[in-house]
Amino acid sequence: MKFQFATAFAAASALAFAAAGPAAAQTPFADVGKHPEISILINSSPWFGGFEKVVDLYEKQTGNKVKLDVTPYGGVLEKARNAVRAANSPYDLVNLDTPWTIEFYEGNFLRPLTEIDPGFALPAEVLTYEDSNYWNAQRRWRTRDGGQLMGYSPNGNVHVLYYRADLLQQAGMQPPKTWADVAAICKKFYAPPGMYGFVARGEKGNPIRSDWTSLMQGAGASVVRAPQNGDYTVTINSPEAKVALDQFISLQKECAPPNAGVMGQGDVIQLLATGRAVQGLAVIAAWSTFDDRQKSAVVGKINTAMVPGFPGREPGVAIGNWVFAVPKNVPAERQRAALAFSRWFLTAGAQRAYAEGGGIPVRSDIFASELASKPEFRWMRTYIDSQKYARQELGFAEGVQVEAVLGLRLNQALIGEMSTARALNTAAREIEEIFQRSGRRTGKLGALPE
Amino acid sequence: MKDDFLNRTFRHWSMWPCLAFLLVLSVYPVLQLVPMALSTIQITAEGTFWTYSPRRNLDLLLGDEVLRDAIVNTLVFVVLSVAIEMVLGFFAALFIACMPRGRNFARTVMILPILLPAVAIGSMWKLLFNYDFGLFNQMVGLIGLNPINWLGDTRWALLSIVIVDVWHWTPFVFLILFASIETLPQDVLEAGRVDGATAWQMISLIILPLLGPALAVAALFRAIVAFKAFDQVYLLTSGGPGTSTELLSLHLNRVFFEQNQLGYGAMLSLSIIGVIVATLAVGKWSATQIERKRTGR
Repeated sequence: MKFQFATAFAAASALAFAAAGPAAAQTPFADVGKHPEISILINSSPWFGGFEKVVDLYEKQTGNKVKLDVTPYGGVLEKARNAVRAANSPYDLVNLDTPWTIEFYEGNFLRPLTEIDPGFALPAEVLTYEDSNYWNAQRRWRTRDGGQLMGYSPNGNVHVLYYRADLLQQAGMQPPKTWADVAAICKKFYAPPGMYGFVARGEKGNPIRSDWTSLMQGAGASVVRAPQNGDYTVTINSPEAKVALDQFISLQKECAPPNAGVMGQGDVIQLLATGRAVQGLAVIAAWSTFDDRQKSAVVGKINTAMVPGFPGREPGVAIGNWVFAVPKNVPAERQRAALAFSRWFLTAGAQRAYAEGGGIPVRSDIFASELASKPEFRWMRTYIDSQKYARQELGFAEGVQVEAVLGLRLNQALIGEMSTARALNTAAREIEEIFQRSGRRTGKLGALPE
Repeated sequence: MKDDFLNRTFRHWSMWPCLAFLLVLSVYPVLQLVPMALSTIQITAEGTFWTYSPRRNLDLLLGDEVLRDAIVNTLVFVVLSVAIEMVLGFFAALFIACMPRGRNFARTVMILPILLPAVAIGSMWKLLFNYDFGLFNQMVGLIGLNPINWLGDTRWALLSIVIVDVWHWTPFVFLILFASIETLPQDVLEAGRVDGATAWQMISLIILPLLGPALAVAALFRAIVAFKAFDQVYLLTSGGPGTSTELLSLHLNRVFFEQNQLGYGAMLSLSIIGVIVATLAVGKWSATQIERKRTGR
């Protein structure tokens, strides 16, 4: 991953240098020709506004039509399932959250993009988020190594730490680099209910699992030992994972609102946007809210930092990207139309327009362009720096079940129903059972002392 | 002769369309759950593959720790919410029926909560329960108490969900009972008054017995709907914190739809149907026993 990222970033930087000057602003779009109307299933997440604008631009530039079915997160999976299982999919592109992709890849519901057009290839600058858009059916693993190109990411969410730059500056404090820094900043500003020191999602299920994952990775822990090599030994009850969970819970108890155990993404964004939290862990897609005068009381006051780390360790950055894919049960003509849109969407010009509209581009050269130096795009540096450490988690068929287990046990530890050691031991036992039922080569670490 | 046969058998064959409808839309889907519950099902583009694995699903059912919490929570939720709704709905119906004027207006206002979409109710109550600026905690603050963590504390979360359900569904009980109260035989009520019955005697000895069938219908409908409660709980707490508001419907949704475990989901569905039928049967049996004891028959 690091090598792929470095290669893409170097290529992008070289391109950006070559294109420096006034001409750089006129980045090219692809001429994709005329195609029938396509329909896209897309989630109404914070980054949707940017996507909608870029779709408008596509329609204006090409004359091709795009119909968007904008669906709340909770409904996207079932709509996508129903679409691919039907005789004919009503959608030509479906947007899939990464944990869902394996069900669709394994079920053979999607048309690899190179089957639609053998000449199609992702531009070198396009970020692939640990190859989440490739599928190696033999290894049952998402990798370009022997894998087919199943789609591409329209949004590469990673976690970042949001902080109130104005308050830190006034107090003469530096942006946090470690979790100890986060705790120190929290201590300085914590004055509830007007100001909380740190906020993150604690709601059971995906929210807490997802936010805690960055800490877990940063502490050097993992859920499973080496799933890419077929080793499904459960390692979630390691001492490192306990350090991460203790840290997460300590911050939530000392810095967050008392209802941290039910706080979702909307709550975290709201607390930050209303100026009632000095720091918060959230996905990069939340950024568009903070500089929007209609939605934010802290316009220009929030900045981003890479997810803090533990002393002596590299930071952990959890990826939570989406994948655009073409269902198999779509007529060939519309599959080609979907690919034409994709080809256009992944051009530097479209990605720049996407960023300017409030989206999170997925091409590294956009982050190397002069856009990144503009104040309104001050998040870009953090984002691209984070890519060096960004990692996928739960990239196996049982991922959704494992997430349900972790999401519950972590939440129970947060609300005090279980000790952190017991929560991790319980999760390890339950996750091992899931892998046993699937016939994986599994096992687990010795139990943590409870 | 032929006409005579048709007339004689009319009551049988006229039921066929209804029976066919019932078989296709109700009986078949429920029966289909049985083979599903005994299998592991994988859906792919090439087809649906069933593997006979009853033991696997049964083991999952017996080892499902969250399911146990969900059953307890659901029973507490159903009993508490339906009981409160029945009491409030009855007194609201009685009060409004006794109003000399403005009854139509009051009835319209009363049923407003039923008309609101669940999403609006979820958003509204989430704000009301908000720890920092919610209306309830502002009121609690006014009387000098510490704010309550309504949705984030395991001691309060289920009760908060019950409060929302009571607010949402008491009007349903009210509507049924209000219609029944309006049709109570006036001569019986008048006789009670002439005999000098107190208000409490009127309610307990005349009105409540006369409303028996309507009360049973309201309680039955409410219990069935409460067993299936999903949307508000999903929006307010998603079953958390921990498993404190995890209801059967939420757990089933997680297994069936989020985790795509169709076989185990089917077994869970059948078990839930069993729990609901058993609970309602026990309720009906208890009601019958009470009625027998009361009437001495």
